[in-house]
Amino acid sequence: MLLQIDHLTKIYQRDVRANDDLSLHVAEGEVLGLLGHNGAGKTTLLNQVAGLVKPTEGTIRIDGRDPVADPAFARQVCSLQLQAQAPLTGVTPRQAIDILGRIRGGSRQQVKERSEQLMSALDITEWADTPGEKLSGGIRRLTAFCMAVVEPGLLVMLDEPTNDVDPVRRRLMWEQVRKLATDGCAVIIVTHNVTEAERSVDRLVVLDHGRVAATGTPAELRRQASSDLRLELTLTPGAAVPEAPAWASSTNVTDQRMVISIASADAPQAIAWAQQLHAAEGVAQFVLNPISLEDIYVGLTNTSEENHDAVAA
Amino acid sequence: MRWLRSYLLLLRWHAIRLKFILPLMLVIQTLLAVGIVVGFSFLMPEVDKATALYLATGAPTLGLITVGMVLAPQMIAQSKTEGTFEYNRTLPVPRTAILAADVTTWLLTSLPGLALALLTATLRFDLDLDVSPLVVPAILLVALTATGLGYAVAYAVPPAVASLISQVIVFIALMFSPINFPADRLPGWLQAVHEVLPFQYMADAIRDTLAAGGNGVSGLPFAVLAVWCVAGLALTLRVMTRRS
Repeated sequence: MLLQIDHLTKIYQRDVRANDDLSLHVAEGEVLGLLGHNGAGKTTLLNQVAGLVKPTEGTIRIDGRDPVADPAFARQVCSLQLQAQAPLTGVTPRQAIDILGRIRGGSRQQVKERSEQLMSALDITEWADTPGEKLSGGIRRLTAFCMAVVEPGLLVMLDEPTNDVDPVRRRLMWEQVRKLATDGCAVIIVTHNVTEAERSVDRLVVLDHGRVAATGTPAELRRQASSDLRLELTLTPGAAVPEAPAWASSTNVTDQRMVISIASADAPQAIAWAQQLHAAEGVAQFVLNPISLEDIYVGLTNTSEENHDAVAA
Repeated sequence: MRWLRSYLLLLRWHAIRLKFILPLMLVIQTLLAVGIVVGFSFLMPEVDKATALYLATGAPTLGLITVGMVLAPQMIAQSKTEGTFEYNRTLPVPRTAILAADVTTWLLTSLPGLALALLTATLRFDLDLDVSPLVVPAILLVALTATGLGYAVAYAVPPAVASLISQVIVFIALMFSPINFPADRLPGWLQAVHEVLPFQYMADAIRDTLAAGGNGVSGLPFAVLAVWCVAGLALTLRVMTRRS
């Protein structure tokens, strides 16, 4: 296991518990998605692995070595793309990527080739020689991504790398993330984009108030949910809200929208029921979708939010 | 070897990032030097040989102080706000290499201005300088001390406070330090304060080596500056390597 974290706890001043008895692992060639609300402790976790912040308790091992005792080793083998924009004022993407590749230990020729290849893969070559202050937020973010992965080392950690990036280039970036894993890197990617993460990561860890709320492959997380389909009805204005049928595992009505979670076995009768309502003009339209990972994620963190509040109260 | 490689690459990284402010630095330092040499002589209608020497050697000293203790900390404050400081912390390079590359950049930045200041002064006052070879270490030590202390301030306190402190420093250095005039013109208590502060010794080191005049070069300024320099750099390094 390339990265092994056991019972990690980080308590900042004034008793802020950023990580709370957190354990996880990432293997070579694996992409781990890290989900969690703002302040769930994702960035603190990355900073500890990179040797920038000292844990209060617990152990971290990168390739068997301790980044707390040997932060220089951690910086050598980890590439970290920070959540904040990289400093690019007065520097062009090409210059920045080249220098960072060299600083991370690459040879001149090797870095030059890799940086051209990355810029072209992300379709940003057009801006390769534009000074940083003239670049849009998305291009700066992509440049920062290239600066982190031009010489990736053993472990690549990306903190919300797709922020500000357009949908087309986001896909290109995910392809490069996948490629890093294929080339043997372990990758941790922090993101709020659950749908994108679901397509591209091997495993997910959902953090909630510094603790691991759930972990597994996207498919495993889906299986943990009590139902796997959702029926979404758009009610006809003025029509009465239909009574929730017996096979609904949960029902939620907001304004003109009624969302019903159901098990796939009940799909035929659910459709029949909805068609009937539609024919009677009780609903304007309806859709049956597989439950999204985002729904599960929101469910996971919401429940614990309530528990947390209950404990706090 | 790895240290040297990191150092040189960081130096290149700085050079690219700072090249657009370099001309500005030159202009500021030149204006400052001209301001001191020409402006101060308006204040003093009679400029005798001794006064001229103080002004001529004080101007480059103040130039070094301005770059090291005002411009450098202000750039650090800005880079802390922009996130460069946090970014550099993640780089796989020795911390001392980052600091050394930073300091080298500022030393190099301050040299052209220093030459211009000296040139302005000699032209204005028609001075005969008696330059000792020790002028090279003297300039390096003064610049290094100024930058080291400037860095210590910039790294140790929040950006807004650092800007404020650097303003105060330049004010004290310009008006209330025996750089452009002999120390005996100051009240006794202020003289005592300057026995400890580095400003007087910076001026002495530069003046002694530019116009030795057969008196030889005193070792005291070098010793005091070395202490301040090490203290400043050590504090800076401590802040850079601190882990929360």
